[in-house]
Amino acid sequence: MQRREALAKVSLLLGGALSGPTLMALGRLGTPAAAATLRDKLNLSAQQKQIIAEVAEMIIPRTDTVGAKDVGVPAFIEMMINDCYHSPEHRSFMAGLTELEGLKFLQMSAAQKTDALKQIEQKTKEQMKAYNAQTIKFGDNQDLEAMNAVKLGLPFWRLIKELTLLGYYTSEGGMKASFEYVPSPGKLELTKLKPGQKTIVY
Amino acid sequence: MSNLNISAIKSRTYDAIVIGSGISGGWAAKELTGKGLKTLVLERGREVKHVVDYPTAQLHPWELPHRGQLKTGVAEANPVVSKCYAFGEATEQFFVKDAEHPYIQEKPFDWIRGYQMGGKSLLWARQTQRWSEFDFEGPARDGFAVDWPIRYADIAPWYSYVEKFAGISGNRDGLPQLPDGEFLPPHEMNCVEQHFSQSMAKEYSGARPMIIGRCAHITKPQPIHLEQGRSKCAHRTLCERGCPLGGYFSSNASTLPWAAKTGKMTFRPDSVVHSIIYDEKKQKATGVRIIDSNTKQMEEYYAKIIFVNAAALNTNLILLNSTSNRFPNGLGNDSGLLGKYVAFHNYRAGINATYEGYLDKTTDGRRPNSGYIPRFRNLQKQETDFLRGYASGFGADRGQKDDRNGWGEELKTGILKPKMNDFWSVGSHMMGETIPKESNYVALDKDQRDPWGIPQLRISVDYDDNDVKMTKDFFEQLTEMYTKAGFKNIRTYDSNRTPGLDIHEMGGVRMGKDPKTSLLNAWNQLHQCKNVFVTDGASMTSTSTQNPSLTYMALTARAADYAVKELKKKNL
Repeated sequence: MQRREALAKVSLLLGGALSGPTLMALGRLGTPAAAATLRDKLNLSAQQKQIIAEVAEMIIPRTDTVGAKDVGVPAFIEMMINDCYHSPEHRSFMAGLTELEGLKFLQMSAAQKTDALKQIEQKTKEQMKAYNAQTIKFGDNQDLEAMNAVKLGLPFWRLIKELTLLGYYTSEGGMKASFEYVPSPGKLELTKLKPGQKTIVY
Repeated sequence: MSNLNISAIKSRTYDAIVIGSGISGGWAAKELTGKGLKTLVLERGREVKHVVDYPTAQLHPWELPHRGQLKTGVAEANPVVSKCYAFGEATEQFFVKDAEHPYIQEKPFDWIRGYQMGGKSLLWARQTQRWSEFDFEGPARDGFAVDWPIRYADIAPWYSYVEKFAGISGNRDGLPQLPDGEFLPPHEMNCVEQHFSQSMAKEYSGARPMIIGRCAHITKPQPIHLEQGRSKCAHRTLCERGCPLGGYFSSNASTLPWAAKTGKMTFRPDSVVHSIIYDEKKQKATGVRIIDSNTKQMEEYYAKIIFVNAAALNTNLILLNSTSNRFPNGLGNDSGLLGKYVAFHNYRAGINATYEGYLDKTTDGRRPNSGYIPRFRNLQKQETDFLRGYASGFGADRGQKDDRNGWGEELKTGILKPKMNDFWSVGSHMMGETIPKESNYVALDKDQRDPWGIPQLRISVDYDDNDVKMTKDFFEQLTEMYTKAGFKNIRTYDSNRTPGLDIHEMGGVRMGKDPKTSLLNAWNQLHQCKNVFVTDGASMTSTSTQNPSLTYMALTARAADYAVKELKKKNL
């Protein structure tokens, strides 16, 4: 009965931050067998951790409200990739970090960093097409294990952006700064949205 | 020595044993202790105390490390339970992991289990619709299964009895197919739900009502609820984590503490029931064998009456495994029907659409409930090429979206200024009655054992042609109804979900009038072993379309009342 609502609730709780492909990579939507390759923990250098923090902060910067770094998003991203994603995503995430390292991202000016991310964002569109085509092809393939060993994961940009949004908007600071958090609404009633009304999160 | 033995036996002897502490076992415990019986409640899982053992109940979203997502490996290691809508980071402690209790799927069957004090009553969807005369007379009228040995009038007072204690919210709708109960105030329908309800009333002249669901949530606490220490539901809708307010009914919040208060209950966790002991001379059951899941030792407990409330399929397993010279094929199984005629609810179909009215409105808050369309197919008489019919949920929701393009301040601002959708999303899902058949069965495997040395259960349950026809009809009829209500973008889907995921498995130890064709009589008493009562889902002769838990509660209270009267008359 409330099962449909329960599903809707999950996506609300996440602030809708995770898209279909991300949920699939998490193993909740697709066939679990197709994503069953486990992996070692990420082995991140201090520089790579800094890049994660920098990119997360560029996605959700500190303004008059807290930013991604303020609410611990960089560590959250690392933990989520480690705990909840599979080898293909580990590979694509590391590939993205390595690419930014090669570009000497941390030494760039603010404008150069913005340009670099714009290019990565642009490239992601093509990568997503390849990813989706591969998902369909792999879905038909019998030799899943061997294919998984070389399979591409969700692109770096997609992972880091969605995890930044998830981490930020479900953090205490990010949630309270952005929404009206009402854990015990005690009701369901009709209302009209007032102008400037913050989104209510339950 | 013999004195020692006698005292050892005495210390293991009770008036009654209840196997299982879920929704029906909790009621058996409450009723039997309430009538003064010294009662042993056996629970195969751990103790879960109300509130203190709900570790995630009070957590804010940011306090769940993975924000509700499962870690890698959990879904892969648990292909069955991870399919359940309620299984997640905040609730996984209340579900049986696949490896913990293996079973054999002769046909694919998702067996969802909660092995702990309170069982699945912590996790249920809390819908509590009464069954009606149409349900109890169904098999006889339509010529399937066997005739129920009871009618609505037999159970109606017991529905009232359990509803008052459990706390059921609902509206008095005056429908013969969904009888009214002892209701606390109903939840509200929103404007689009009301629109659909009114539109159906007009288009079908009252033959297809849509009402607000009746559910086990306290909307206005009565003294009996306050006495249980329960309070008003706060609409947190985090129910499956356990409710610290006792806002919804569970064994943990309600019946078990009530039974404990009598001082008559002994609760024994970690007790996996192996079998029921049958005494050939006395021609009745004398006790229960358990395996202590910590020590792996077998122990025996004794009582005058035994209530089997292990949840439908495990109740079948225990009876099948209770063999003796008198009953080589399982306790009370002269008919050979034990384990057969298992059925479930067909939840595989759904429909979604949009509605473009009431765009000046939205909702504020949450509701642990939704709309309900009682069965309208083949209700008064047979009118289609399939038997029986389906109930449906109904819900309407005004969504919103925000601009998630780009990054930086623009993205941050965009998310703060969401736009309401220019439509309401509406949806229904199907809850179809399935026809119990001899070919849908559970049985013990001859070779494979579970970790406690008990034979594994083989499950062989599948859809049939009737289910396929009914699913097709659901699509046609709901599409027609949605069209008449002015809904647009109507989309239907068939999830083809595996039986079992409905978590409404029933039967195998069915009630009936004739010992040749049924296992239990009108009082849920084994025809051939009268001091054993089965009052959980295993006892169901047919499945109706309504969620079954309320009926298990009522049957349990009714059977407990009868059992104690019979005990006093020295008939047991």
